[in-house]
Amino acid sequence: MVRTLSPLITLLIIGGICWVSLGGQESPADLTYANPQGIHTLDPARMSWTSDFRVALNLWEGLTTWNPEDLTPTPGVANLPPAVSQDGLTYTFTLRPDARWSNGDPVTSADFVRGWRRGMEPGTGMDYTFFLTDHIVGAASYASWRREAVSRLVPMSRLAREWEIDTNQRRLLEDTFGTEERDWPRTHQDALQRHASLIDERFNRVGIAAPNAHTLVVRLVAPCPYLLDLLAMPIFLPIHESIERLRSRTNDLPITEQGLVTYDPQWTKPDYHAHGYGGLVTNGAYRLAGWHFKRRLRLTANPYFHSAASVQCQTVDMVVHENVSASIMAYERGAIDFLPSMSVPYDHEIAKLAQTGARPDFVLTNVLATYFLNFNCVSETVGGVPNPFLDRRVRKAFALAIDKAQIVQRVLGRGDRTAGSFVPPGVIPGYEPPPGLGHDANAARALLAEAGYPNGEGLPMIDLLYTPNDSRIVQALAHMWGVTLGATFNLRGKESRTLADDKINRRFMIARGNWYADYNDPTTFLNCLLTGNGNNDSGYANDAYDTILAAANAPRDTAKRAALLRRAETIIVEDDLPILPILFYREPIALSPRVHGLFPNARMWFPFRYVTVTP
Amino acid sequence: MTRMLVRRLLAGLLTIACIYAITFTMVVSIPGNPFQQGQHRLSSDVESALLARYHMDNNWLYFWEFLRGAVRLDFGPTFTYADWTCNQIIAASLPISMSIGLAAMLIALMVGVPIGVTSAVRRHSWLDISATTLILTGISLPTFVTGSALLIAVGVKLQLAPVGGWGTLSHLPLPAITLSLPFMAYIVRLTRAGMIDALSADFVRTAIAKGASRQRVIWRHALPVALLPVLSFLGPATAQAVTGSFVVEKVFGIPGMGQHFVNAALNRDPGLLLGAVLVFSTLLVAFNIVVDLLYAALDPRISEAL
Repeated sequence: MVRTLSPLITLLIIGGICWVSLGGQESPADLTYANPQGIHTLDPARMSWTSDFRVALNLWEGLTTWNPEDLTPTPGVANLPPAVSQDGLTYTFTLRPDARWSNGDPVTSADFVRGWRRGMEPGTGMDYTFFLTDHIVGAASYASWRREAVSRLVPMSRLAREWEIDTNQRRLLEDTFGTEERDWPRTHQDALQRHASLIDERFNRVGIAAPNAHTLVVRLVAPCPYLLDLLAMPIFLPIHESIERLRSRTNDLPITEQGLVTYDPQWTKPDYHAHGYGGLVTNGAYRLAGWHFKRRLRLTANPYFHSAASVQCQTVDMVVHENVSASIMAYERGAIDFLPSMSVPYDHEIAKLAQTGARPDFVLTNVLATYFLNFNCVSETVGGVPNPFLDRRVRKAFALAIDKAQIVQRVLGRGDRTAGSFVPPGVIPGYEPPPGLGHDANAARALLAEAGYPNGEGLPMIDLLYTPNDSRIVQALAHMWGVTLGATFNLRGKESRTLADDKINRRFMIARGNWYADYNDPTTFLNCLLTGNGNNDSGYANDAYDTILAAANAPRDTAKRAALLRRAETIIVEDDLPILPILFYREPIALSPRVHGLFPNARMWFPFRYVTVTP
Repeated sequence: MTRMLVRRLLAGLLTIACIYAITFTMVVSIPGNPFQQGQHRLSSDVESALLARYHMDNNWLYFWEFLRGAVRLDFGPTFTYADWTCNQIIAASLPISMSIGLAAMLIALMVGVPIGVTSAVRRHSWLDISATTLILTGISLPTFVTGSALLIAVGVKLQLAPVGGWGTLSHLPLPAITLSLPFMAYIVRLTRAGMIDALSADFVRTAIAKGASRQRVIWRHALPVALLPVLSFLGPATAQAVTGSFVVEKVFGIPGMGQHFVNAALNRDPGLLLGAVLVFSTLLVAFNIVVDLLYAALDPRISEAL
């Protein structure tokens, strides 16, 4: 019997091993770096993660790009400076004539229009759609017109197939068509046709125009002092026309039956060839040579890139190591040259090695990001208990009661900086944030007593929401608040998505939060606290604050603008305290001494075209 | 025999259907938004367009649509990795997990069974005692400890194997050995216990009385019966091993199924999660059926009963 068993097992094993060997090993790249998560998407309209941006911005080049040393906007495909109208609302960009796609085609202004348009499309554009809709004339109304159409076409497409629809959808259709029975397949087809015929005309009202192949005119809703910085972001990248081959169609209409503009999601693959598609075409210093899901992604130099002659590092591999410790071991063995992330449970040891100079190849980098706590500023009660944080004196007392230096140095020890303000100081040129509140236990107790809670009497059990990663910080804070203010806590550690749900539904009194800057301007932080902003977790609403921020949009005088922004931030971090800034992240990276021309910077932006690697 | 097979297949299908229904209910009822990626909250109209695009605005419809796809072995799109389909992800990761799992089971059997037999035959000898110690260690030490230790010793200190990752055969031994240890421990224990029982059974005494050699009695007469409990352990164990161990994959940085399964749950990625659950449960059911058939083949008493 054993005899019958063993050949079977052996056979299975051999089969399995054959499957494995299919992978095979490529020759090592000039530069290899590790990324713990892999790439979420290479679609510039959808991406949201720094690690995805890093690859996309090496593959594509926008109108502008960032200088890797000081992060100032530098020319990309467009010559700088652009021609700007008197009122600061119209920008005319001239594209460099030698800009080429990786298949040799010239990069035209129409490619930019195509890329930006995708970013506005419902169902395609995601986290950064607001960059387009907030700034470009007509973009918001185009996007909402499209979304409204989709919300009607979806239930119609259902009814056309005799599928069920829910009550909201039924109500929506009744508003348009009344309650009588209809021939739904016909109605749907007509509506689809009508909508498809209007799309281009509606889009022409958006303030993006390509009068000729090398000119792009952008009209803004309001002056935007940081526009050139924004334009380097992935949502503003151009897209090559070959993507149109992969566009979804219904009955010869260029939209889906739901009215969506979608493309075969495989379009970002270098080796995808359905419908005559030639694989991903990009216009940056590199092109995508291979992408094995969650294993390895290879970039090779784009021979058609306008500065191809200056690109030294010909191949770059991004390898995925879910286990950061393993990637550190591989780095130590020399298999990896560069670790842009070293977040491990022993990060304080790494910080120590970097700070003492024992490991000059470990570099601590100040990043444009803040860790803070949200106070719930809107809910009368939380879980049936009155919410004391509606009173800003309580929020201020809690802010004054903690010693952030203790947390940063003693509890965490990874070299972060204590935060008094929301915006990290010393990173954004021309802006110095207010100092914020210090540590003053007596003032904290006095304020709390004034608010009606002397020595913490009458304070309910405070509901504090955090993720498991924060547990050391949160326990230290709860201890400090307990000792100084007499507060007691219900510490609720939750997995991050459940936590996000609780935050949206305001099931917390205090909740952890962090914010990574999207662009190099204080408003990337300060806008989060505008009334009704989607990222305003504390539910803070202050007309005065909103007015000052709106006013700060207008002046073209940068000093005056900085003063206004500083006034707004002072309200946040010294008077109202809807959030309590704790620390500014400092993140360690490891960079092999063989690698030159990679500059640690606040946005973790690493263009490989400047890199040289010595053997 | 055929009737039993048909009955088992039908029961298996029913089991998978139940697992699908239960998992689906859990997937749609857990809090958390699958479209939330980075730090930005999606506005509600952006989100409703996305829900419509992926037919997820109606749970009941999504239930049937996913099932219709799954029957045709098409698990649809994934949201966390928009450029890939669930099928591509499973097709890329399942073979990796299978190779590691099968290699681990082979190691566990090849090492575990002989040790189990020997320690049963020479009970209370030094060999038996050290084997028992090994079993205890194997069962008690979690794989993230043994895996990390192997990684540091063999990968970093001796530099005999690559430090994690995937691509060549040299990536296989360390994770396979790590994964095999707990299974090996169980196999040793089951073999030893089974062997001790078998050696005192009547048919073994008869065989000895008929003059069969000691080796022949142990390996030909006693072992097949002693292996029955091992076999019933092997079914679910192999299914578990080949569908990927999250911990081993995490430690060695292997892009296998176990990792995607756990990440899909954390990311609230319904397609990938349901797809992974269906693949896992199908394998589990299939391996159990195979084991039942082997059982019948190994033990004549069972095949007669069928």
